[in-house]
Amino acid sequence: MSETYRKWGRVVRYENGVTVRVEEAGEASEIDEVFRAQPAQTRVSVPHLDARDVDAYMAQTLLSVPHLDARDVDAYVAQTLLSVRPLTIERLIVSAGIAKHETNGITWSEESQRVHLALIKPPLRVLIDLASFDIAIIETIAAALVRAGDEREPPERIRLAPNVSAALLPSLVGELAMEQAGGGLDGKGQPVETRAVTSDPPPNWYRPGYAIRPVRAWLNLRALPFGSIDAGAPIAVALLAPVEGTTLRVLCVDGDDVFPATVDAAHIAAVSRDTPTWYPYAAGSFGAEMML
Amino acid sequence: MIAPSTFAIASRDELWIRGALSESRLMHGHARQHGQTIAASDARDERLVVACNQAIEDARATIAALDARVRVVARATREDDVESVETTITISIGGVSLVTTPADAIADYELLRSLSGSKPTSLRSLPIVWQNGSAAVLLHEAIGHAREHDTKPVAWPEWLSVDAPLVSRRETFRDVPLPRMKHLIATQTGAPFVLPDERIEVQLVAGGSYDPVTDVVTVNVAVSTAGPFTIQRTRTEIAAAISGAAGDPIRYPGVICSREGQELYVASHAPVMITDALT
Repeated sequence: MSETYRKWGRVVRYENGVTVRVEEAGEASEIDEVFRAQPAQTRVSVPHLDARDVDAYMAQTLLSVPHLDARDVDAYVAQTLLSVRPLTIERLIVSAGIAKHETNGITWSEESQRVHLALIKPPLRVLIDLASFDIAIIETIAAALVRAGDEREPPERIRLAPNVSAALLPSLVGELAMEQAGGGLDGKGQPVETRAVTSDPPPNWYRPGYAIRPVRAWLNLRALPFGSIDAGAPIAVALLAPVEGTTLRVLCVDGDDVFPATVDAAHIAAVSRDTPTWYPYAAGSFGAEMML
Repeated sequence: MIAPSTFAIASRDELWIRGALSESRLMHGHARQHGQTIAASDARDERLVVACNQAIEDARATIAALDARVRVVARATREDDVESVETTITISIGGVSLVTTPADAIADYELLRSLSGSKPTSLRSLPIVWQNGSAAVLLHEAIGHAREHDTKPVAWPEWLSVDAPLVSRRETFRDVPLPRMKHLIATQTGAPFVLPDERIEVQLVAGGSYDPVTDVVTVNVAVSTAGPFTIQRTRTEIAAAISGAAGDPIRYPGVICSREGQELYVASHAPVMITDALT
């Protein structure tokens, strides 16, 4: 690539009790196989910053990127803190961002919300990653974790909740029929079209940040529905550890029983036809209920 | 009332593959913290940019001749008016890497080259001799990170002393400062030392972690006489397994410590140490 990619962004992030407001602009290019990234020189530089310089610097506009209202983040954090009691929060990161991108003469904007929550009931830790300020899923998982008992063998038939199946999906490329869901633009400004995921090189580029070299990747994975879901089967409601291959360590709910178990998810028996939800795993992954 | 604190940074980060530049990044920014709020931007502090440019220019002269994958990072920071410059070099050959500084880069590169051709025996449950200061990684996880989480004390050998002060550190202007290890220096005074006839000798460690919920330490050994392997034990088990040490602390070639997604260099030293079997 010889075109220059530019990004202007603002983020408000709550991280374990501290709220961080970040605004920055950056640009990247790749010439003669050398990738270069640096802050975009759209604002003045000063020889040695003191507090007044910084205030003046930050008052300059980041082109047309609107300011963010931190109140959405604050409200969601407050709701989360209330909804997980009496459990212990090990880690809570909530962010809202807005960015403007430009490359190849194309300009586009995006807004994002991200949540990462690690909840503790020793020796268990559930991991929750969301792309929306959804409080219901946190309430559901927290209520289950409070009642969690001892480790058990995995049930013979088990459902995976959408937030669990989304984390698994990138490990099933080549093993399960899935597609790249179309919509929006990729890291080089090219349209993301709906395509069957194959062993061919992906048509699109993933660029999670301006300072990261873009790579070809299947974006927004979505498993194709098939089979039937047994709504009465036990369900894995949350991850207890990051996915390793197709091995899942999960929190299972079977009627009134809640227990941790380790599940081999290599063979999927069914994928729900319900509308899937997008999760921030790999280069994007849609979660739908699955049956093992 | 807590006075606001300020942090400014400029960093250059370059990836060289067998002497050819592959990636180059400049990053700069400023953060000001009032209580529980941080305002951060990519404001450019020219003095810090000049300092990190000079540091990476000096490092380039060292790494130009290395036939390896080399990542060099020069960071110039100012934290409440205290300025510092730090340069770290990560050298990788055949999937095994170490972290060093410009002063030690050539010697550590030769060490890595010599180790990359070693022929391991099969892994058996044997006592472990931690060479090259590699015990520093075990202690980094079992003592250093445990302190960061204010965990319950464990009975370590009386002859073992570990200096691992926690200071407020952050990787970039975007990050929340956390209490992190500044360095780790383990020393022994009058420790027993009987070299086992049959043993595993650890040369390099790929990484490690400490889980404060389960109190389990994980160490991934990259190069040893028994090849790569993983240790997973509680801190109590590790403390009980430490059976001896000898000599002065040896500089371990590098620990890049990752916590909350923030990667920071921690200089690490430990004497040759012996533990009972941990595999």
